[in-house]
Amino acid sequence: MLSLKRDKKEEEDGGGNPFNNLEKSTVLQEARTFNETPINPRKCGNILTKVLYIINQGESIGQTEATEAFFAMTKLFQSKDPILRRLVYLGIKEMSKIAQDVIIVTSSLMKDMTGKEDQFRGPAIRALCSVTDHSMLQSIERYMKQAIVDKVPAVSSAALVSALHLGKGSQEVIKRWVNEAQEAVNSDNVMVQFHALGLLYHIRKTDKLAVNKLVSKFSKQSLKSPYAYCLLIRIAAKLIEEEDAGSESPMFDFIESCLRHKSEMVIYEAAHAIVQLKNTTAKDLAPAVSVLQLFCSSPKPTLRFAAVRTLNKAYELMLNVLKLLVAIKHPAAVTACNLDLENLITDVNRSIATLAITTLLKTGNESSVDRLMKQISTFMSEISDEFKIVVVQAIRSLCSKFPRKHNVLMTFLAQMLRDEGGFDYKKEIVDCIITTIEDNVEAKEAGLAHLCEFIEDCEHTVLATKILHLLGREGPRTPSPSKYIRFIYNRVILENAAVRAAAVSAIAKFGAHCDDLLNSCVVLLERCQLDTDDEVRDRATFYVNVLKQKQKALSSAYILNGLQVSVVGLERALHQYTLEPSEAPFDLKSVPLATQPIAEQKVRDVPGEVPSSKPTQDKVAASRQDVYQEQLAQVPELANLGALFKSSSPVEVTESETEYYVQCIKHTFNNYIVFQFDCTNTLNDQQLERVTVEMEPAEGFEVIKYIPCPLLTYNKPGTTYTLVRLPSEPTQVTGTFACVLKFLVKDCDPQTGEPDEDGYDDEYVLEDVEVSVADHVQKVMKPNFAASWEEVGPENELEDTYALSNMSTLEEAITNIIQYIGLQPCERSDKVPEGKSAHTLYLAGVFRGGHDALVRAKLALDTSGVTMQLTVRSTDPHVSEVLATAVA
Amino acid sequence: MPFFDALARWLGMKKKEVNVMVVGLDNSGKTTIINHFKSPETKNHDIVPTVGFNVEKFKSKSLAFTAFDMSGQGRYRNLWEQYYKECDGIIFVIDSSDKLRMVVAKEELNLLLENPELKNRSIPILFYANKMDARDAVSSVKCSHLLELQSLSNKPWFICASNALTGEGLHEGVDWLTDQLKIVLQKKKK
Repeated sequence: MLSLKRDKKEEEDGGGNPFNNLEKSTVLQEARTFNETPINPRKCGNILTKVLYIINQGESIGQTEATEAFFAMTKLFQSKDPILRRLVYLGIKEMSKIAQDVIIVTSSLMKDMTGKEDQFRGPAIRALCSVTDHSMLQSIERYMKQAIVDKVPAVSSAALVSALHLGKGSQEVIKRWVNEAQEAVNSDNVMVQFHALGLLYHIRKTDKLAVNKLVSKFSKQSLKSPYAYCLLIRIAAKLIEEEDAGSESPMFDFIESCLRHKSEMVIYEAAHAIVQLKNTTAKDLAPAVSVLQLFCSSPKPTLRFAAVRTLNKAYELMLNVLKLLVAIKHPAAVTACNLDLENLITDVNRSIATLAITTLLKTGNESSVDRLMKQISTFMSEISDEFKIVVVQAIRSLCSKFPRKHNVLMTFLAQMLRDEGGFDYKKEIVDCIITTIEDNVEAKEAGLAHLCEFIEDCEHTVLATKILHLLGREGPRTPSPSKYIRFIYNRVILENAAVRAAAVSAIAKFGAHCDDLLNSCVVLLERCQLDTDDEVRDRATFYVNVLKQKQKALSSAYILNGLQVSVVGLERALHQYTLEPSEAPFDLKSVPLATQPIAEQKVRDVPGEVPSSKPTQDKVAASRQDVYQEQLAQVPELANLGALFKSSSPVEVTESETEYYVQCIKHTFNNYIVFQFDCTNTLNDQQLERVTVEMEPAEGFEVIKYIPCPLLTYNKPGTTYTLVRLPSEPTQVTGTFACVLKFLVKDCDPQTGEPDEDGYDDEYVLEDVEVSVADHVQKVMKPNFAASWEEVGPENELEDTYALSNMSTLEEAITNIIQYIGLQPCERSDKVPEGKSAHTLYLAGVFRGGHDALVRAKLALDTSGVTMQLTVRSTDPHVSEVLATAVA
Repeated sequence: MPFFDALARWLGMKKKEVNVMVVGLDNSGKTTIINHFKSPETKNHDIVPTVGFNVEKFKSKSLAFTAFDMSGQGRYRNLWEQYYKECDGIIFVIDSSDKLRMVVAKEELNLLLENPELKNRSIPILFYANKMDARDAVSSVKCSHLLELQSLSNKPWFICASNALTGEGLHEGVDWLTDQLKIVLQKKKK
């Protein structure tokens, strides 16, 4: 029993394989048995098997060892034992590459190859071809030719395949065997025919014309062997690929006709080839796919497997094509394929159907929306989140394209919100609803209602807080704000701390905006003061106290419009403040303001835009100013200018293709402007030194200092700064500066970059740099403009009316005003509803020095142009003056 | 079936097996000689230069021969030594009409005799002075002089003139070899 157990264990250890743990040296030692006479075929056969086994296990045998074993093996030719002899053939093939003087067996093999024993002939040919080198090829040529046309199929096949292998080395000799191969192609044996075709192709493969002829010849004359057909299909497919021909090639017709062959193997090969082709359209793929689908229901598992594999590839291909279509920005180009796509929307593969439908949605017209939405809703639950997102994106673009359809689309989105789905998917839906609400006033109520319903059962904190924020912003301005309070307060009772805090903020906004709800909101907020979470309690206490003051200005500043500073900047300023304790309170105005990334976001939401670039853009927008601040602080002369107020975007002051390429960035400080010139020397035979930009200041401005760039070598950008003091007169802020690039030129060797010793002074005239009002203001988004308007008050109000006669549309006027004044448009007032002739533009921002600046521009379009009534409010009288004159 | 082999041998039904090597310069007639010994149905009518070696079997009166018919071409002669160890006898074939290369044959013979595998073995060597029918063929005696066979003392040897095409003289040589090998085998038994 015990021993039995042990045996079993040994078996598990791999003892079942008698060749396990073979030692190379022992086996080679054993191989000496081959030299004994008389030969014992059984014993020698066993040893030879061991040798073959270790070779095939990847054991490397040295040349001397191998040669010794090989010669011992040759002695086994004495035995006529068929098993041993065939093992010897195998041994010869394996050792032919490692042993020396393998040529020794040539005559023996030739004898077997021409002998009477058919069993030996085929293998002998294969072994012979493996030991033969090119010099010997001629001597066996006669026998090979005979063997190729031999009536025994095994011999013929062996000769053909061996010829193929020989052909890898010397094409020349093989070429003379064409006639024999031609004859063999007509053989009745399927294998011989296949191998003969292979050899023929190999002989001709360098000659494209000959291959072409070969395929067209055999595609007409029906071959017997399905293998040969498969090979022919492969050759044809390769030809199509090489010629870059599509389905119009005659080769393609041949492949297509093979789809109707009686052998499954051929059908599969043809379908596979079609799927693999590069330039296929959905129409070309269709027959192949339908054949493969038939295979899927075949009783043969192999066939099913192959079919599924290839179908997968076919679908992948279709998906890629469709994805491309989805990504195309010019719908007109895609409309051409609409007919094909229509066929695909009922495809059994849901992913394909989805993409087809979304493509159609994006390119189709308004009338087809209903039908397509109905179609897609039938299998929405069957597709993966990734595709659902694609659908949502399509709907988003539809919403902006066909605002009248918002009913259908909104209902559909609400339906999707209710279904199961991952975070990304839900986020996409919520984003889509939010943009729709913002774009379309009519959809607002319905959208908010859907979102309210969604947060009732929302597991994603991020989404819940986002929606609560939106409710706080949009809810108070709807006709019946009170109905949202219930949804929001439910969150306070049911959700986690983060959501509760967001809900508290939202309630406070309702209180601040709607006077009739103020008291109820205060009651709710007071209850929240008992919350377990610090943040929630703090927020509630803060809001209760602010609201109880019942001052509009206060509520506006602290509840409706939040903090507008850059977070990084605030952190740095606070850190600085704690390092140098002083009696003076911390001045929030010294903190750089947050640059408005909102404008850029708007651009990105344009339908069809590739979403991949989103994150990078966002980051740059948020930190650009901070980067500049760091950079400027590195320059000792510029370190003490105070906090950087604003950096303009780069302006080119040279043509881009000139000798020197210069960009200018204006950095505005409280009392100074720093002009940063990024210069690039595009001449490889010059080296510039002491590069400065001399500026001819406008009246009132004073150039304080030039900070030169010491060295400017070829193609390496350098930076020079010019420091300018702003005029003391507060209303004088704009001006034009003439600029000249001055430098010392040294010629240098273009190859080595070694400069000459002497140089000469030179200058290069740059374009003028303009300082405008926009350089002195920072854009700030006021989510609730009306409240801010009241908050600033009419103290420093200026009002004027202008006739903008050169503007023909409201949009044009708005774009220009924003450009001149440089303030942030609020409440989406930069978008003019279609067909209106009057519009009010709200602009907000902060002037240099931290003064709030608000602008209301009432625009009216008439026959002579655009008339504008501009009202400016600011906390500083001079600022109002500056802004009012900016447009004029 | 070693048991049945032994039984058959004991009963004298199965002949004893010996290995012999057939060597000599190229185009001396080795393959043709072996071909002559083969049974009529296995005879090869088309003799081509041997590349490497061939294994052939034939029988004499009382022994079964396994002959390693080696290639005589210059580039393969160094491969002969691979087979010296296991052979019981050597057949050295000389083209008696090729006086010019007689010295080459002598050199090869010396190399063979000096080989460590054979040097101290008393192994019988049969010389065929082949192509005796050729007009300018030298006699077997002359041949042995040219090869200085008289100095070969530690091995039994025998030279006979032969014509492999007709078979003349071949059997005389094989008979001698059979006798010699039998003596050797008997010595081994003792």
